[in-house]
Amino acid sequence: MSNFLMSFAKWLENTRWALSISGSNWAYPFVQWTHFSGLSLWLGTNFALDFRLLGLGKKRNTAAELANALFAWNWTGFGIAICGGFMLFASSATKYVVNPAFLLKLGIFVPLALIVHIINQQKAKTWGLTPDVPGIAKCAGLFELVLWLCVVTCAVSISTFETF
Amino acid sequence: MDQFYQALAHNPFLFYINSSTVLSAMMEVAHYAGFMLLVGSIAIVDLRILGLAAHSRTAASLAQDLFPWMWTGFAFALVSGFVMFAGDAPDFGRSWVFQVKVLWIIVALIFGIAVQWKVSSWERPESHSMPIFAKFVALISIILWIGAILVSVEVPAISGVG
Repeated sequence: MSNFLMSFAKWLENTRWALSISGSNWAYPFVQWTHFSGLSLWLGTNFALDFRLLGLGKKRNTAAELANALFAWNWTGFGIAICGGFMLFASSATKYVVNPAFLLKLGIFVPLALIVHIINQQKAKTWGLTPDVPGIAKCAGLFELVLWLCVVTCAVSISTFETF
Repeated sequence: MDQFYQALAHNPFLFYINSSTVLSAMMEVAHYAGFMLLVGSIAIVDLRILGLAAHSRTAASLAQDLFPWMWTGFAFALVSGFVMFAGDAPDFGRSWVFQVKVLWIIVALIFGIAVQWKVSSWERPESHSMPIFAKFVALISIILWIGAILVSVEVPAISGVG
């Protein structure tokens, strides 16, 4: 499995478009910008819904109304983040596939957080019909919040584990 | 100013945080999570004013729910950003890109405050639509905030600091 991953990473890193990102002074910040802009929409809206499920904040809208209102741009942000993230990964793929923080981020925390997010987004339609949310919704909101913070922690730790 | 930057860089408390692998990682997490919450929240309100998001909700109700999180995110980003700045204060202080970033964020904040202050009065009560001027302010606001992210990633790219 690790041989396959490394072979794939080597191939990806040497594609023309990946080389143009890693070899360019302006392309790499642009790709980072894409990833962070997408993440701002994605995580910003995730956090807003999680806080609402926790029963925090102004409560002008119910959790169900907020989940519905944020849905389109939440997933648009995810799409933009994935595009930027893939380009970032491709530009240094062989470094990322052996980085424990990156493997933990993408292998464990992102899939887990994504599953919990989808469940919360769907369940918010029933949990969040009234201004006050049930205890299970608060637990779910807190769990998702913690998982996304774990993703961010893994992401900032990537540079700590980098080998040259 | 240089003396101030040196004093910050040598402050024992700030130096301790920036020298600790765990604490400095926590500062980065707070900074990234904070600005994502800040930008995500204001962006949704701006998109609603532009008529591009959350049509089922009024802009005023969305703003009331999201602006507390915008300011919470800003507080986390500001405090963690100051701690991280202190670690390399002389280099950050001399960096023109970093100065542009700070100025950019100040201008973006002014537009964010304008949106927060005026969104309820802009919204037409019958149709919940927005006047052209409101859409213009919201467009500038979202461009500034997304632009702030670009300026921020250029700081290490151009100046090599951070």
